[in-house]
Amino acid sequence: MAFSEGFIAAAYIVAAVLFILALGGLSGQEKAKRAIWYGIAGMFLAVVAAIGSAGEQIVVLALMLTLGGIGGWFVANRVQMTQMPELMAGFHSLVGLAAVFIGVSADLEMNRALSAFQTGVADQLSGFALIIAAKTPLELKILKVELFLGIFIGAITFTGSVVAYGKLSGRLSSGALTLPGRHAINSAAILMCLGLGYLYQGDAGLWSMLLVTLIAGAMGAHLIAGIGGADMPVVVSMLNSYSGWAAAAIGFTLGNDLLIVTGALVGSSGAILSYIMCKGMNRSFASVILGGWGGEGQVSASVEGEMKAIDAADAAQALSDADSVIIVPGYGMAVAQAQAAVSELTKRLGAKGKKVRFAIHPVAGRLPGHMNVLLAEAKVPYDNVVEMEEINDDFPLTDVVIVIGANDIVNPAAQEDPQSPIAGMPVLEVWKSSLVLVLKRGAGTGYSGIENPLFFKDNTSMLYGDAKDSMNEILAELG
Amino acid sequence: MRIGALREVVLNEARVAMTPESAIKLQKLGHECLIQSGAGSRASFSDTDYESAGVRVVATADQLWSESDIIIKVREPLAEELADSPDGKTLISFITPSSNGALLEQMAGKRMTALALDMVPRISRAQKMDALSSMANIAGYRSVIEACNHFDRFLMGQMTAAGKVPPARVLVVGAGVAGLSAIGTAVSLGAITLAFDVRPEVSEQIESMGAEFVFLEFDELQADGAESGGYASPSSPEFAKQQIEKFLQLAPSVDIVITTALIPNRPAPLLWTADMVNLMRSGSVVVDLAAERGGNCELTVADEKIVTKNGVTIIGFTDFPSRMASQSSSLLATNIRHMIDDLTPQKDGAINVNIEDDVIRGSLVSHQGEVTWPPPPPKVSAIAAVKKSHTVAETAAEKSLREEAELKKSLNISGIGIIIGSVLCLGLGTIAPSSFMQHLIVFVLSIYIGFHVIWGVAHSLHTPLMAITNAISSIIIVGAILQIVSSSFLVVLLASISVFIASVNIFGGFLVTRRMLAMFQRR
Repeated sequence: MAFSEGFIAAAYIVAAVLFILALGGLSGQEKAKRAIWYGIAGMFLAVVAAIGSAGEQIVVLALMLTLGGIGGWFVANRVQMTQMPELMAGFHSLVGLAAVFIGVSADLEMNRALSAFQTGVADQLSGFALIIAAKTPLELKILKVELFLGIFIGAITFTGSVVAYGKLSGRLSSGALTLPGRHAINSAAILMCLGLGYLYQGDAGLWSMLLVTLIAGAMGAHLIAGIGGADMPVVVSMLNSYSGWAAAAIGFTLGNDLLIVTGALVGSSGAILSYIMCKGMNRSFASVILGGWGGEGQVSASVEGEMKAIDAADAAQALSDADSVIIVPGYGMAVAQAQAAVSELTKRLGAKGKKVRFAIHPVAGRLPGHMNVLLAEAKVPYDNVVEMEEINDDFPLTDVVIVIGANDIVNPAAQEDPQSPIAGMPVLEVWKSSLVLVLKRGAGTGYSGIENPLFFKDNTSMLYGDAKDSMNEILAELG
Repeated sequence: MRIGALREVVLNEARVAMTPESAIKLQKLGHECLIQSGAGSRASFSDTDYESAGVRVVATADQLWSESDIIIKVREPLAEELADSPDGKTLISFITPSSNGALLEQMAGKRMTALALDMVPRISRAQKMDALSSMANIAGYRSVIEACNHFDRFLMGQMTAAGKVPPARVLVVGAGVAGLSAIGTAVSLGAITLAFDVRPEVSEQIESMGAEFVFLEFDELQADGAESGGYASPSSPEFAKQQIEKFLQLAPSVDIVITTALIPNRPAPLLWTADMVNLMRSGSVVVDLAAERGGNCELTVADEKIVTKNGVTIIGFTDFPSRMASQSSSLLATNIRHMIDDLTPQKDGAINVNIEDDVIRGSLVSHQGEVTWPPPPPKVSAIAAVKKSHTVAETAAEKSLREEAELKKSLNISGIGIIIGSVLCLGLGTIAPSSFMQHLIVFVLSIYIGFHVIWGVAHSLHTPLMAITNAISSIIIVGAILQIVSSSFLVVLLASISVFIASVNIFGGFLVTRRMLAMFQRR
């Protein structure tokens, strides 16, 4: 029942175009709802064409697809929107693992094909082995390079994503692991992998690639363990990028253009997201990858003054006196699951004729666009949700700003204190408004461990406690 | 305590220190309220209104003095009002202690506790009792209304069938509370409004009200207004010269000038000279809100409206708030109520004059037989000091130059990148076989497309973007499917596992993306 080569190639082209349309469709919320069907259709077409070209093992394939489908369906429906960062990390690890497996299988197939070629039974081969049998020695050399890259990137993606998953879900400590000489360790690991790759080019067999898997895996885990929690948005998008490059490398290995196209799309998408995230924190990509904040030798100006506490009744009073309110959500809102209460507050204030908007910092949360998804889940209309650049000028005209579980993204030290580790990072200028209400669990420093002078300003009042409880109290007071 | 509001004896004073509304709130603090008969009549509050608010109406001032513990009124008491008053009372009113030394002595002699509304410090906590701001707000509004009354044209520009009417140009000098209020009123009436102030930091407030800030080309920084309690300080001679030139240049083109410049404890600065008035068109109007302290305009006559030879009307009324007596009484009565609120911390009708309190100490001018004016400087500074490093806003020309330079630099960098990339690619082409190069073409073009497509993705959709790219990166499943046909068991096993993992990813990724996108909704 195998499809003809031409038909399969055509299916791949259509699938590639559909994938591009799916990504391009994300330029607007309404378009996006249709765009996802392009993606699904493209994937369906690609899988059907691949199965058709293979034409065997249909039962095993159907079984695996069904099992995988059930697993995916289960995960996707059970996950909460606040857990999206760790889900993404988890999914990335799967792509990395699959890339390693496929790379190893490719090596096995290659050896089989070569031995079959030497014994003259090459015409009995099928599938991938048949393709390999037709390759020249130079092409085989290149194939080995591609294989190496696929396994190397795949292994880093796999273990890195697992560690990122652990950190994001709270199963591992979110602090940056700083082993002595960690840069040396990473460099040594890369050199060893390159050396093994060179040996593999010679006559070293599968063992060298398995060793690469182990070393690259350890390096991926170590690399991500060394990055602090506040940098997680960059890490997740970087792993997203890696999973794409791994797919592209495997595409080269298998000589499959669809894999190359898709891998390149995903890889560049992740790279752009990482770039946007880094820009949001005013840090270079290298400094994020090479290590976290809170390193030694950084002395930022200590903050003088005291934090003023406020109770829910006064906060509610301030809100009912205000005409315009801006809400700045951070990761703390996700942790406390306060988004529904926040949405309710928005509705109540809106019903009283007040102007309520949300200001979203590019790196708020642990995932690019994390806050938008949470607010959407809580049914906040997206035209009330505004990006940093658009809203920063409006703070001086705003009566009350509510900061919910956000810290570094509203830290005035970024602009005022050149010694601060976050100096120069673009921040939401909430302190320019008449009153800032900060909902915070306790009086300590934030995720990055940096003191925040905002909390000590005259126009700042602190409402301590769990963000969700505080919100509900304010709602009760508003009546 | 019994709180009594006196009727004002000054001829043109229509305001009253207590309204029925404020009386109700004062009673909630545990006080009893009295009012002299007819005190509110010129502010449209009748005796019956007061009675129905639970206020006892008494016939004469003497009766009120003897029956009340706290006397509230608007203007400072005249010497003859105090002459027969009993000792030891508390008084709350405007007092202007700087020019009423004899009055202070008289009050101290009567062991009077006197709180001056005009001495309330300008700190955030005391804004609710800042009667000067309340009155300035009204004066600013009324100044525009008075100006319109004498200006024989529209303020708003109109296109009518009978021809085009240009909008009036209003210049507001001094952007304090009164100035900002005048700006707001003039803007809302449709005039083109310009505003000037010696404090550059208020330009933001001026622009926020919809007026245009009149800049002087000047590099010496003015003393920071925050140091003197939010008020302007006298200008340097160079600055004044620049300012006069600017005003002479503006005078022929403005229709209405409203001057509001006052410096605490000094005569009003002279800003609008006779030369400037002479340059103005016939029919123009000058309203001088500083008339009481000598006026900002050289030709102002206090309490009068004059018309100059060249037909410019100059209004020097000093009773703008009183001309809107009902409104100003409401605000003033509320300010006084807030002050009494602060004096009654237990809300039990007992007055506690706490001289440790900055606000109370600041407004206290006579206490326990002594004159307590001027007060020591307050512990809290009025307005947070503005950073001295005012970066000069870059002009449009500088901006375009800088952007050009930046663009050139980035173009150069990408140009070098393209050359290096091309050389590397050509080098690779000389050794790599054509089959590889074909895949490379696809790869490079895909990255290129990817970059263009992804830059268009909305920021708010970044999480769905990651979910969907994650789902489609599982296209790696195609590789696994192609390998599964192998006859080697190990390969089949590995490929099967890969298919399983990848399909978890495909289904999970697409479903979760759909879940997220379905949540995004328009208002």
